[in-house]
Amino acid sequence: MAVTDKVRLVSFRILRPNGLLIATFCAALCVALPLFVVLSFLVTTSSDVWQHLVDTLLLRYISNTLLLSFYVAIGVAFIGVPTAWIIAFYRFPGRNTLSWLLLLPMAYPAYILAYTYTGVLEYAGPVLTWMRAVDMPEWVMSPFLHIRSLAGAALMLSLVLYPYVYLLARAAFLQQSANLMEAGYTLGQNRFSVFRRIVIPMARPAIAAGVLLAIMETVADFGTVQFFGVQTFTTGIMRTYYGFGDTPGAAQLSSLLLGFVAVLIVLERNSRTRIRYYSDQMRRLDKAAQNLNGFRAFGAQLMCFLPILFGFLVPTMLLTSWTLFDAQMQSLWQLAWNSFALAGGSALFIVGVALVIGYANRLFPSHSLSYVTTFIGLGYALPGIVVAIGVLIPFGAFDVWISAQLAPWSVTPQLWISGTLVAVIFAYLVRFLAVANGNIVSGLSRIRPSIDQSGRLLGLSQTGVLTNIHIPLMRGSVLTAILVCFVDILKELPATLILRPFDFNTLAVRAYELAGQERLIDASPASLCIVLVGLIPVILLNRSIGKL
Amino acid sequence: MIKEKTDALTIRDLTLDYGTTRAVNDVNLALKPQELGCLLGPSGCGKSTLLRAIAGFHPLTSGEIWLEGKLLTNPSESVLAELRGVGMMFQDIALFPHLTVEQNIGFGLSDWPKSKAKARIGELLDLISLHNLGTRYPHELSGGQQQRVALARSMAPRPKVLLLDEPFSGLDTELRGRLTSEVRTILKGDGICSLLVTHDRREAFDFADRIAVMDDGHICQFDTSFNLYHEPVSPFVAHFVGPGEMVDAKVNDLRSVKTPFGVLKSDIDLGFEIGSDVRIFLRPDDLIQDDDSEHTATLVGKHFRGAHYLYEVRLDNGVLLGCFGLSQHDHKIGERFGVSLDIQHLVVFPK
Repeated sequence: MAVTDKVRLVSFRILRPNGLLIATFCAALCVALPLFVVLSFLVTTSSDVWQHLVDTLLLRYISNTLLLSFYVAIGVAFIGVPTAWIIAFYRFPGRNTLSWLLLLPMAYPAYILAYTYTGVLEYAGPVLTWMRAVDMPEWVMSPFLHIRSLAGAALMLSLVLYPYVYLLARAAFLQQSANLMEAGYTLGQNRFSVFRRIVIPMARPAIAAGVLLAIMETVADFGTVQFFGVQTFTTGIMRTYYGFGDTPGAAQLSSLLLGFVAVLIVLERNSRTRIRYYSDQMRRLDKAAQNLNGFRAFGAQLMCFLPILFGFLVPTMLLTSWTLFDAQMQSLWQLAWNSFALAGGSALFIVGVALVIGYANRLFPSHSLSYVTTFIGLGYALPGIVVAIGVLIPFGAFDVWISAQLAPWSVTPQLWISGTLVAVIFAYLVRFLAVANGNIVSGLSRIRPSIDQSGRLLGLSQTGVLTNIHIPLMRGSVLTAILVCFVDILKELPATLILRPFDFNTLAVRAYELAGQERLIDASPASLCIVLVGLIPVILLNRSIGKL
Repeated sequence: MIKEKTDALTIRDLTLDYGTTRAVNDVNLALKPQELGCLLGPSGCGKSTLLRAIAGFHPLTSGEIWLEGKLLTNPSESVLAELRGVGMMFQDIALFPHLTVEQNIGFGLSDWPKSKAKARIGELLDLISLHNLGTRYPHELSGGQQQRVALARSMAPRPKVLLLDEPFSGLDTELRGRLTSEVRTILKGDGICSLLVTHDRREAFDFADRIAVMDDGHICQFDTSFNLYHEPVSPFVAHFVGPGEMVDAKVNDLRSVKTPFGVLKSDIDLGFEIGSDVRIFLRPDDLIQDDDSEHTATLVGKHFRGAHYLYEVRLDNGVLLGCFGLSQHDHKIGERFGVSLDIQHLVVFPK
């Protein structure tokens, strides 16, 4: 029997390279480029400035970064664990509302919180003026006067980063099977002993993972420490690059910072593995929650309300009032347009790349591909300033090379790509591809292969499966991915600051510049804009958790 | 009060509510020392709630629970779960994932002297044949191994009664059958009074000395598996412990009924008025293929069971019945053959 032209034999082993796979490996190379550029400076010879750094400042960078991380670790655990505990184990009026309000501080980049609190706490500001008026003793006023310090920076970072710990710890508490606690009781353990020997040890990996994420954000933070004058790795890199004009020195500092980040990644992955073993999908704790009344309910409400008050409500009220009544700032529209267009365009591009990677993994699964995808996931852990340095060096070199090639035709040497938005978007791709990827992968994993197969068996072509099944099902995940990337890019400061074209300003950069000129009130419209847009993914996050 | 002294676990007039629904209604039950009991019933019959009340995780609406002559709980007072001396094996195993096998088993021995606790752990590891896996974590064990560790953990502090809440339901059929007998042997060896909850009659038969069949919050019958099967007190029990069909009959005299198969004799007084309409319950093993029989039936369905066939036959009067046939014979659907009844004990219910 002849094979008609409608029946094609399909080969199940696809060995020839195809577009999806090539694109995926290209994306991986993009992520790898800044990483390897920065790391390559570890083995190059040291500059004079580097020697000077090692002699004078390096120790301070290291100790300040470690100390700041330590304080933030304590801060986020101190806020995140008790609130998660209260929400998970008790019932009281307002619990449900508080449980999602506790996520709101995530909308704040730490540097905006720093600008806001500095603005309200400065010597001539309302708080200290009032304190002097009522003759407050020196020791009460002193911490407010010294908000611009390492401890102050740790406080700001803790106030916006504790939701990581809160979220993971709450999930860990809620996911523990009620049967485990009951097993503890039937083995003769009392309530305290069950908490000490079962509940807390089982939540420990989740708490650790949350704290480690907060530390990763802390060591990557530039805006807060820069504004508070705390000398850490990120400010050191900026200073070495701009102050001394020493790119190799900045790269070497960056590679040291990467070492620190690498340790954090390993620890975090380790915790994640243990969380997987510890999670249990059986009868949830919800039913075992205790009701609180009266004074105890009030205590619980207060404990949960304080972080929201200081991490969100107070700064937002300040920013709103300054924006409406005090700020002098022109051309917010131009800034907003720049920011939104850049963030929106970049987000679309990044999610497009993520879709390519997602489908490459789905259609041509292989070990090497899954390693590549995991590697791309590391991009998010790279501090923005490190990515910036890692992009600047090869792009700059490329510009020099192009200019040299074009010199015979008497073309003026210029920044062909390093001083353009191409460099900025490239850096965003490196940094935020992992975020988009995570959303796309989780969206795709919900469409089980059997769904594709039943579609095919019911007569759909491969394109038919895509248009009739995947596009409707993936729409939500893709939109979420775009939105999350958009907001992350909007908040991003150091990479944008270093790589942006001359005279191209965004909301974040303008807020940074105005704050640098001590015009904190004038920075508030830009800040408020970032925070309000930043609220959207927080609300989405809360909704997606609510569905669990 | 003599009853509480001879019985290990006594449940008296117990009523439990689950939210607004009555989960357990006026239940009485007593387990003898070292006895392995079972609560058998469909899901939602209240058996798990009853178990959780014994463990101390569910409040009583009325009634009392006694353990070894001491009052555990009534609606107003309740001994804390951790002070009851009640062990429990959970449906989801509930091993502590952050502790090793040894630490799991030793969890309830925290106030034992170190050396005694260590000896007890070793003894239990031997009992469940996992002595070389003591340092493993739960996720490194197979499902069956996890079950055995969970058993050892609940047995470790020598509870006065051990409750097992459908502990085998997550396992595949073959492993379940093996483990059930294994657990029975282990518990019998240790002499621990136990109460298993299950909806699987084979599991109940494999495990228990006596089985309480529950339906809708009541205990219908508490008896040995043999008696439940052959002398069920209600149609529900009859159907729940094994397949069978009801056949109409008429009471002939004090000890016999008239059926489509002729007059059937009972070994005891039936207690029904002569001439009244009744139903008799026939199991497939009551009806046998008998070529010499005057009664014939048509084969309408057959299920190969290995050692025998389970036939579905239609009697000449239209009644459908189950019937065992030797697997060496291979009758075709639609064939007619003779059948006769081989009943040891007649099961009669009012119509």
